[in-house]
Amino acid sequence: MVGQEIFSEALLSGMAEVFETMMFMSVEECNEMYEAIEGEALLSSITFKGAVEGCLGVRCNLNCAQAIARNMLGSDAGQTLSEEEVVDAMGEVANMVLGAVKARLADSVGDIQVSIPTVVKGKELINSLGEQSFEVSKMVHVDEDVAHIILLYRFTTQAN
Amino acid sequence: MSKTMLVVDDSATMRKIITRTIRKAGLPVADEILEAGDGNEALQKIEGKPVDIILCDINMPGMGGLDFVKKARTNEANKNTKIVMISTESAEGLIASVKADGADGYVTKPFTPETIQKELAPYLQ
Repeated sequence: MVGQEIFSEALLSGMAEVFETMMFMSVEECNEMYEAIEGEALLSSITFKGAVEGCLGVRCNLNCAQAIARNMLGSDAGQTLSEEEVVDAMGEVANMVLGAVKARLADSVGDIQVSIPTVVKGKELINSLGEQSFEVSKMVHVDEDVAHIILLYRFTTQAN
Repeated sequence: MSKTMLVVDDSATMRKIITRTIRKAGLPVADEILEAGDGNEALQKIEGKPVDIILCDINMPGMGGLDFVKKARTNEANKNTKIVMISTESAEGLIASVKADGADGYVTKPFTPETIQKELAPYLQ
């Protein structure tokens, strides 16, 4: 069985690659404890199945989501994007991060099939995968903001 | 002479990124770059009006990129159209399979402007 540290490394390095390449934003794991993301947030989620199945989520507050979307679209720093634009951008973030993670895990877990991303808005949003699941949860600095990335997964019978 | 281009991706954000990247790279494409949100819409866009090059995502709701390539290639009118897939999928087996079905090139997301320029330039001569 693939160790949790393999998933953790894949998640952090995959996210960093996507943000540096497509948004020109730096991503670093928070070393100190941070309070939970307060107020309304966006949670972008994408599921996967194969020898490992689960869900990847990227959660951040609306200001951070605006900044991410602006960088993706090459918009001016002061510009406020529509909710539709921000939601679409955040969906693509989860899609690309999972793609990068998937590529890093391919040798360990084989091919996995990926869903279409979904994005929800609300407070204290979390994903859940139920019993016998593992979780990699990281708070990361995205430039000046903070985001939460969560990888929930479990091994299926295909892994045996 | 500028080439006509169609970008197929369910994400409007990604369509904008691809379009912007192509413009920044200075590739010789027409002023208007056509866009479609899935394979069905893409087939409608090129019906009776083939384009020179299509950039197409794979994982889309509705008709995905794999089915789109197969269907587009069944139409003789698209025989000279270059189709380049752009996807987060990076499995070598999948890339070989989609090329066997008629795709000419493949770009993995995330991509740099240099990657786009390098992959597309041969088709835009």
